[in-house]
Amino acid sequence: MQITTTEFRKGLYILFRDEPYQIIDLEFVNPGKGSAFFRTKLKSLKTGRVIDYTFKSGESVEDYPVVTRELQYLYRDGDHLVFMDPETFNQYTAEAEVLGPIVDFLRENDTYSVMLHDDEVVGLRPPKRVVLTVAQAEPSVKGNTATGLTKPVVLDNGVTIIAPAFIEVGDTIAVNPDTREYIERVSA
Amino acid sequence: MVRSTWERIRSNPALAAPRLLRERIIDAIRAFFKARGFHEVETPLLVRYPGMEPYLEVFQTTWTTARGERHVGYLATSPEYAMKKLLAAGVGPIFQICKSFRNREDVSALHNPEFTILEWYRPHADYTALMDDCAELFRHIARALDPASDGAGWRYQGRWIDFAAPWERLPVREAFERYAGVRLQDGPDALFAAARAKGYPVSAETTWEQAYHQIFLNEIEPHLGQGTPTILYDYPIAMAALARASPRDPSVAERFELYVAGIELANAFSELIDVEEQRRRLLQEQEERRRLGRTLYDLDEDFLRALELGLPPSAGIALGVDRLAMLFADVTSIRDVLWFPADELFGTAACRDDSARPGGERQTDASPGGSASAAGEQDMQR
Repeated sequence: MQITTTEFRKGLYILFRDEPYQIIDLEFVNPGKGSAFFRTKLKSLKTGRVIDYTFKSGESVEDYPVVTRELQYLYRDGDHLVFMDPETFNQYTAEAEVLGPIVDFLRENDTYSVMLHDDEVVGLRPPKRVVLTVAQAEPSVKGNTATGLTKPVVLDNGVTIIAPAFIEVGDTIAVNPDTREYIERVSA
Repeated sequence: MVRSTWERIRSNPALAAPRLLRERIIDAIRAFFKARGFHEVETPLLVRYPGMEPYLEVFQTTWTTARGERHVGYLATSPEYAMKKLLAAGVGPIFQICKSFRNREDVSALHNPEFTILEWYRPHADYTALMDDCAELFRHIARALDPASDGAGWRYQGRWIDFAAPWERLPVREAFERYAGVRLQDGPDALFAAARAKGYPVSAETTWEQAYHQIFLNEIEPHLGQGTPTILYDYPIAMAALARASPRDPSVAERFELYVAGIELANAFSELIDVEEQRRRLLQEQEERRRLGRTLYDLDEDFLRALELGLPPSAGIALGVDRLAMLFADVTSIRDVLWFPADELFGTAACRDDSARPGGERQTDASPGGSASAAGEQDMQR
């Protein structure tokens, strides 16, 4: 099915120059004289590589149909991650490269929304928020509550993020796994 | 419920930092122009005759007087006409930091329908004076934010942008030859053939300007402003907007855009001061607006009168303050330097997000124990 730029949105899967991509970023640009363009970042479903391409408004591409299924994440085997459909017990193998940096935040046995094309995993919708424990952090300075003061902290999954200076080892904090942005302290 | 920026800052004070840096940038801009003898002016945001650019759509409103008289008004897309009237009045070099409004645009990394614009105008000058101003302004801001840098440059997304070396000044034609292998001076058919050969869709309806932008946006813009900022100048006359034709070469207009790290920050002209030529271009743009189904309004005759009475040869520039703040704050979206992005106010998705459609699949929450997730962030659209 052909889809035009007016239907473009973040997360959409398309065939571009015969290769499957996901639109991961989208910006409408109006450089002049009434013609409009869509600046996109396209992530290759084959290599995980991100390319920039700007479409003329009204240009069309081929749709790349995907279905979303709730799958349980079982385990990681090298560069591959194994998921299972809890209803049919069908297993699906995904390449870490295709899923991208979100794999750092996946926890075994948790269920995720996984996108499939012809039973092949092409993506995973990141949760908006995960709660993790701080494993390493510089001790905070007592009484220093200056706005905007931050430090790097290492989470129990090994990921380093930037958090407010008052966060200590052992705190549980909420993080947006997609942007790796600190959201708030859940408990001290 | 959407968690607003102010609420995210409440739980994560570090998020205030890029917004507070913006405040210091604006202080630095004011100090820069005041030290150079510019007057700061304020012109109306609510106007009767907004800009005529066919690609800009306006916000329309109505002023109703106490007696019930009704006047259609618009939110200004830029303060340009009013500032040029002040040039005609003889106020001298002027600058303004104000809001401008553009409708039919999404909120995205580089756009917000309400945004902050810096415009400055120099009478008795041409666009080369503004090129120098830009370089001095950037060094001044860098110095104000980090005195140790002495204005030598700034790190953006891991790359050093050199402000101290002479800035790259690149004519549009040379940019097309260098990065796309296209000779614009060979005419429209050569451009269409080049676009087709590169794999862009070209049909009988494709305009010269569309083919130009397909190539420019994909193959040229990403290279601009990567070492020093780039001044891309001398636009084909068809893209003159409100710029005058070059006295050296009438096939180009004395216009430049400023690029840093592939991002367009400013648009500048040696101003068109010929009233007949200006009227002709405005009528042409009005016709284009009609064809495109944009909001229609009359020409600002008061602006044309200013040209008729005589504007000194002048140069003027508009610079996006939100994008400038984004650059110095080293963030990749202007949302990060806004206290209140428009999509939060209106509950719309920042650029439509497939995962945020109502009726889409439920969110996954991976917090241990689950209960901590109750206050979790939700899709923008719900």
